[in-house]
Amino acid sequence: MSRLPSRVVRIGAVCLVQLALVGAAVAGPLSARLSGQEFLLEVGPVDPIDPFRGAYVDLDYPSLAGDASRFSGDLAPGEKGTVFIPLVRDGDRMRGGPATRTRPGRGPYLRCSDAEWRLRCGIESWFLPQSEAIGLERAVARGTAVARVKVDSRGNAALLGVEVSPGG
Amino acid sequence: MTTSSATHPAPVRPSQLAWLEGEVRQWQAAGLLDTAAADAIRARYVAVRRFSLVRLLLGLGACFVGVGLIWLVATNLDQLSPALRFTLVTLLWLAFTAAAEVIAGRRAHRGGEARSAVLGAARALSALSFGAVVFQAAQSLQVPAYEPRLLGVWGLGALLYAYAVAGVSPLLVGLSIGTGWFVWHVAEASNSGMGFVSAVLVGAVVATAVAVLHAAGWLPAFAEAWREVGALLVLVGLFTAALPVVTAEDFAWPVLLTIGLVVAATAAASAAALADRRGRLELLAPAAAVVAGMLLVQWDPGVTATSEVTGSAYLHAGVSVAVYLAAAGWYAVLGVLRDASRLTVLATGALVIFTTVQAFAVFAPIISGATLFLLVGAVLVGSGFAVDRGRRQLVATIEGGAA
Repeated sequence: MSRLPSRVVRIGAVCLVQLALVGAAVAGPLSARLSGQEFLLEVGPVDPIDPFRGAYVDLDYPSLAGDASRFSGDLAPGEKGTVFIPLVRDGDRMRGGPATRTRPGRGPYLRCSDAEWRLRCGIESWFLPQSEAIGLERAVARGTAVARVKVDSRGNAALLGVEVSPGG
Repeated sequence: MTTSSATHPAPVRPSQLAWLEGEVRQWQAAGLLDTAAADAIRARYVAVRRFSLVRLLLGLGACFVGVGLIWLVATNLDQLSPALRFTLVTLLWLAFTAAAEVIAGRRAHRGGEARSAVLGAARALSALSFGAVVFQAAQSLQVPAYEPRLLGVWGLGALLYAYAVAGVSPLLVGLSIGTGWFVWHVAEASNSGMGFVSAVLVGAVVATAVAVLHAAGWLPAFAEAWREVGALLVLVGLFTAALPVVTAEDFAWPVLLTIGLVVAATAAASAAALADRRGRLELLAPAAAVVAGMLLVQWDPGVTATSEVTGSAYLHAGVSVAVYLAAAGWYAVLGVLRDASRLTVLATGALVIFTTVQAFAVFAPIISGATLFLLVGAVLVGSGFAVDRGRRQLVATIEGGAA
């Protein structure tokens, strides 16, 4: 009689640890959604040809990446890794200020990575049904879309939506 | 080892039952067993002819359902809200986990064998559907696609589950996904072919060390899977290292590779301390492969076009072939020593593919057309004959030694 309960407890504990792992994997965007401040960012297309493209749109942020190479001088050029991009107001939208390797003292800022060929801030994919993805991709390519994002005090970001301007 | 009880005879292959029948008759003739004892032994086993087919069907079915579930997540069901999708996928995962434990509980209660195809399929479904939970959580929160850490979480979760239930099928899921994550992450961060080769070979050391630890007494049923993954990684790593186009150009040493090396060294030291002489010998192959593979990648033969093959390129090819022959030969021998036929098949298959690729690479610049195919065919037949002869001699030596 004592074997079954102990096995159930063991499996239950493993399931809880597995769920905690899932939580840890999405902790950044979850924190941003729950405690972040909302901003609008200009979006652009990435690569129009992707054979594996499915039910999502790949997004780029020209107003952030434009300043990503202008580091504040705290790290040697060519070095890659975590990069912090202060957000500066530009009308109703935000754009990136001079990027830095050290965490800024005050926000808002984005915590990104330039370890790969492009800057990644955790807001590069917008998942939606495949039939709608093509239409949105065209709107992004025309430059008529903005991303609504939430950013928390640690620079974690979550993508809330991609809005297309009327007529766009 | 197969276990059985008085009420539930253990399923064995017909060939095994035929061998046992012959032995029992001989023991009876020699007066070692009476008729009652012989019948009692026979009653403990039953021949199951379609056991492998059932395993194949259940295994394939579990994989299809698991992949289908992840595909369903990827198709982004817009009729349901992200939170509802996550809840549904999580409930499915928990249902598969619970169903597996109900099956395991019933088998334990009835005194049936601990490892069964149905139980294995149910546990594989649980491990695969956990991946769907990870991807659904990421998709619901718009985490970007192609994020390696999602694979890492899936692999780690599947491995934890495998060890908690001592299940081989979730172990296979965890090993595949975990290895994929490690290699992807290191290769991407290093931005070089050297990153891929070193990640694969360091992974081989970890896998082999864990296999040796398991063979030494800790969950022995897990040793085979870890050993096969270790062998596969060594053969893939050395295959890639032998290609002249794979170089160390632009290689950046990633932090994760250092962590992998520390884990590999610790696991290998622990395994060496606990294993017997054969186990320690088993550890040497992947350790030597790491050094050989990284040196081969570092050694740039300077091939820019097939029309400009230099002496250095031929030397590189020759050394690569010698290293690969030694590695594949070792795993073919290990398959015989450990009575693991899949390992021998893997080593032989890898050798055939490697020989074909290298033969085409070496002879293609010199000859072409029908002559090329004749020469490559002759090399393959010669390799196959040599491998088969070596295997037969080894088996004869072992059987002679055992007698």
